[in-house]
Amino acid sequence: MVSTLLVFGTAFLGSAVESVEALTIVLAVGLTRGWRSPLAGAAAAVVVLAALVGIFGQVLVAVVPDWLLKVAIGSLILLFGLRWLHKAVLRSAGVIALRDEQEAFRELESELAGATDWVGFLISFKGVFLEGLEVAFIVFGVGSSTHNLPLAAAGGLAAVVVVVAVGAALRKPLSRVPENQMKYAVGVLLSSLGTFWAAEGMGVTWPFDFVAILGIAAFYLVASQVAVAVIRGRRGVPVAA
Amino acid sequence: MSALRAAGGQLVGMFVTDWRQTVVIVLILAGSWALVAATHSPLAGAAMLVLLGAQLVYFTMAEARRRSRG
Repeated sequence: MVSTLLVFGTAFLGSAVESVEALTIVLAVGLTRGWRSPLAGAAAAVVVLAALVGIFGQVLVAVVPDWLLKVAIGSLILLFGLRWLHKAVLRSAGVIALRDEQEAFRELESELAGATDWVGFLISFKGVFLEGLEVAFIVFGVGSSTHNLPLAAAGGLAAVVVVVAVGAALRKPLSRVPENQMKYAVGVLLSSLGTFWAAEGMGVTWPFDFVAILGIAAFYLVASQVAVAVIRGRRGVPVAA
Repeated sequence: MSALRAAGGQLVGMFVTDWRQTVVIVLILAGSWALVAATHSPLAGAAMLVLLGAQLVYFTMAEARRRSRG
């Protein structure tokens, strides 16, 4: 039960955050330049990504030994998760600005003024491809290390479907999505999962097996909150309740 | 070509924020692997976790200090 929730939940949340960012890009191009070029760019990106992930994913799982896959993928997930957690700490401490989808949308809108449809296609392709690559990495990393790729893929797909459906209905950036809090949560989860698997691949046997991830997550949460409190204290900013 | 380079940079950026921090994390992982191989102790996993948490606190505080100095 714990592993099911963690795998699906992490894949869902991480994919949702990336999908929101991709949606902002497609919306900015679509609302500025018309829908044909950004939708074509997004579709092309999805096809290329699916092909790449399908080919490399199969090769990796078939050729690489399980322990090496855990160490390598676990380490990459750990690096990825710690990068998100690092930024989340700085945002929570007020050192860097919170991610603002409206602001990102306006910036891209102004950049697109006067651009051709081909530019719109490329921007949409690049944005969806790169954000989609992060979705693919999260889904593959979370799924392959737990030998539950279908569940992780379901979480990722569910997130993409939900975000696209809401975005299509609203036709504006999803600025009310608590993206920064979600990035904090995903940062903690991915760092924990990466730590667990990398160590398991190295030969560590964690107590209580998969449930140990909850303990690892609690540790990262405490460590990150300590960092937030110290940084805010030094800046003279009161710690949020 | 510049678009490919930018995309490549973004790809690397998925995993690396600060190269010094990345090197420290890789060293922690490598050191932990050596410790596990040598001792076969479950405490090696705990040691790795503590070090990773400590580097998170250290490098976020260091970046906050850097940014406050402008």
